[in-house]
Amino acid sequence: MRFLYFFVRRFLHSIFVLLGLSVVIYVISRIVPGDPARMAVGYQAPQWVVNNMREYMHLNDTIPVQFFYWLRSALSGDLGISLLTRRPVIDDIRQVFPATLELALYAGLIMAIGGIMLGTLSAHHKDKWVDNVVRVFAYMGIVTPAFVFGIVFTLVFGFWLNWLPTIGRISPDLTSPPVVTGLMTVDSLLAGKPLIFIDAVKHLLMPSIALAMAGLSQGARITRATMSDNLGKDYIAAERALGIPERQVLWKFLLKPSLIPTVSILGLDIAAAIGNAFLLELIFSWPGVSRYGVRAMLAKDLNAISAVVLILGLAFVVVNICVDLVVGILDPRIRLSAQRNE
Amino acid sequence: MIKKYVLISFILITMLVSACAPAAVQPTIQAPTSPPAAAPTQAPPPQPQPTAPTAARLLRLAHSWGPLKIDPAIGSDFAAQSMMVNLYDTLLFPTTDGKLNPWVADSFDVSSDGLTYTFHLKKGIKFHDGTELKASDVVFSMNRDLTIGQGMAYMFVNRVQSTKALDDYTVEFTINKPYALFPQTLVRLWIMNEKVVKANTQAEGQYGENGDYGTTWLLTHDAGSGPYKVKEFQLEEYMLMEKNNDWWAKDKFVPNAPDLVRVIPIPEAATLRTLMANRELEISDQWQSADTFRSLEKIEGVKIATFDAVTMLYIYLNTKKPPLDDVHFRRAVAYAFDYETAANIDWPGTKVSRAPVPMGVPGANPNLTPYEHSVDKAKAELAQSKYANELDKYPVTFYWNTDVPDTQKYALLFQSSLAEAGINVKIEGTPWLTLTQLASKAETSPDAWPLYLNADLPEAGALLYQRYDSSTQGTFFQGEWLGDKYFDEQIALALSEQDQATRFQMYADLQKYIMDLSPSLYVFDQYQKHAYQDYLDWPATKGTVYPVMGYNQFFAFIGVNPH
Repeated sequence: MRFLYFFVRRFLHSIFVLLGLSVVIYVISRIVPGDPARMAVGYQAPQWVVNNMREYMHLNDTIPVQFFYWLRSALSGDLGISLLTRRPVIDDIRQVFPATLELALYAGLIMAIGGIMLGTLSAHHKDKWVDNVVRVFAYMGIVTPAFVFGIVFTLVFGFWLNWLPTIGRISPDLTSPPVVTGLMTVDSLLAGKPLIFIDAVKHLLMPSIALAMAGLSQGARITRATMSDNLGKDYIAAERALGIPERQVLWKFLLKPSLIPTVSILGLDIAAAIGNAFLLELIFSWPGVSRYGVRAMLAKDLNAISAVVLILGLAFVVVNICVDLVVGILDPRIRLSAQRNE
Repeated sequence: MIKKYVLISFILITMLVSACAPAAVQPTIQAPTSPPAAAPTQAPPPQPQPTAPTAARLLRLAHSWGPLKIDPAIGSDFAAQSMMVNLYDTLLFPTTDGKLNPWVADSFDVSSDGLTYTFHLKKGIKFHDGTELKASDVVFSMNRDLTIGQGMAYMFVNRVQSTKALDDYTVEFTINKPYALFPQTLVRLWIMNEKVVKANTQAEGQYGENGDYGTTWLLTHDAGSGPYKVKEFQLEEYMLMEKNNDWWAKDKFVPNAPDLVRVIPIPEAATLRTLMANRELEISDQWQSADTFRSLEKIEGVKIATFDAVTMLYIYLNTKKPPLDDVHFRRAVAYAFDYETAANIDWPGTKVSRAPVPMGVPGANPNLTPYEHSVDKAKAELAQSKYANELDKYPVTFYWNTDVPDTQKYALLFQSSLAEAGINVKIEGTPWLTLTQLASKAETSPDAWPLYLNADLPEAGALLYQRYDSSTQGTFFQGEWLGDKYFDEQIALALSEQDQATRFQMYADLQKYIMDLSPSLYVFDQYQKHAYQDYLDWPATKGTVYPVMGYNQFFAFIGVNPH
């Protein structure tokens, strides 16, 4: 129960973090040069059209008053109208966020499975050729930007081999399943359309692997380092001395406690992937929130900027809470310590 | 242990590969056969290759997507105009030589004072929902444009006094002063279905009793009668249009016109190359680099279309600030600049500009003597300038647009060219938003800055007015702050002249007048480039080019052949 209380408290703290974030981004976006109303209505529009738009968007009020209007609407779920798309920002976000979320989730899955597997392999074969190969692979993954992988994958698997589709979420000759979650793979299964599911997975492969490469590599290195460290500890020697099978030592006693730093880092990587997916969304014409956000910034689409930053902030908060939860499950000491501190 | 990992890896790879069957999308998909089409009669479509269409022909093209705005009262960029041409009809249709053909209107009359235009509409034209297009729809469309005031509405705002439906098939426009280009502006009046727009209008909105005037619904739908209609529109992803087989002018469809048109946002260069190579995209956007076009040209079956975009790269000179307030100094700058090099930096094949408007615009004066790169002439002009002896005190600052990184090259060229004549140039990169804000006042407007501008109407007078009339000072159309009374009077006279030959002569004289004042550098007439598949019959690639933005992508005239 206390553990639950701990998470509720964390969540309430997060609200203040998000509020602070929204104040900062709201002020910054409004002091950048350029008239958003003029940007919205176009450069040929007469001045009265600009004035009307300024009035409609409350742009003639002071920044605190504008923020009050925005916050009041935001609390009731209305994030304003996008100057760029002319639709309610919440509708835009509802449409573009699932695409990025799906991309980040698949990338997260690849990061977690690939990183932990490679890290375990590397630790188990410490200083042998397998370890060296994984090390080189991990360094490459860390230092190479995701968009480079995106371009290379496009050229290799899209252009030369022509195995994988290069743009969009599903093929143009397929009809999207009814939107339930917004995640194409999930919605296609819910609609009982396995062909669309396979097609959606094919579309996800290249961008999600490209997005996952850095996190995967980082995860592999951290897992390897923590496992190597724990390998030398007395409790491992004791378990081996007790005759516990090596496989059980590795998976049950060594891997589990070694995953705590990896999970923490991967959590942040997954949350960061949502905001960092911009170039990949561009390369793969992925209709996601990153691309939407960057374009909003270039066009000074104030409401959209605030909403996107808020969403990214929220993603970090939620992922951090999830990480705390997973870490608590992995290591009872942390959970108990949290309870004691209450 | 290694074996186990190898086994797991093998299973994973097998799963991946099994999911990776070739994904190439066929450019034609099975669908009902297109209706037989008769030979085109009015506007000049190309001679198509006769084929017997047995499948839906698919045309896929990339466009800038900021996002794509298909509401006629809002969208104004190249992508938006290209779509509206296809979704909506207009009273008149432009020809390749800048004249006008009857379209929805069979004919029109002009009153003797040049203030009233009466249009006689064809009967039986149907909107996409089957409703008949009537004069009241034209009235509604004009009033909606005037109320919203965005997109291309600036052509009508402060000009159209009233629009009346005299009967179901006669509409009368009254303008507030004679304007000979009024019929030309009507190629931008997209006729909307009043019934459909009203049925999809939200009560709450910024247009008073008109609520949102249908703007929300029209973001992703159309209310037109054009040769194509919106089938699906996914924000950020694509727009799919289908052929309107009930189009009133269906005899104008080329026999192999596409049944479906899919528009996608511009992909990244590597992705674009892959799509073109896999024949998953028929027409590229025009905004790729010269290197990308060179690379695309090497792909088998891909060609590069190059045609006049009626767009010019101008370098604005602020005539209100020293040293550019001196005409001799401005001429010195004009002579010092290296135009040939500039024309070949990013757009090989483009031509150095010869007049203040692109040569592709009807009414451009081909008989002017343009400024040519000549250091001697630049120095001679500089010697006559009042700043001749104090050049060090008056450096020229060139602001390049950081949102268009290529403009830095022109900044560097400007700097090095002018240095030869002894003019000191400073360079500063500035974001577009800041640049437009600076340009809103003469005191803060940059000394020099580059901008691509295109003609919205097929006559030189419209662009001249936009560029140099005092009413456009402070907008991005005019960074020169010319404020010349003689020009203002003469351009007003020219634009009210009903006789085209006289009007064109007045434009020609004004272009010479402007050249002498040298308020801008006319760098090059930009040629629009697109990569396209060789199985297309695209009139623009064969010299049938419309001098009006958007009309070169009139899909009814573009043929998609089987391959």
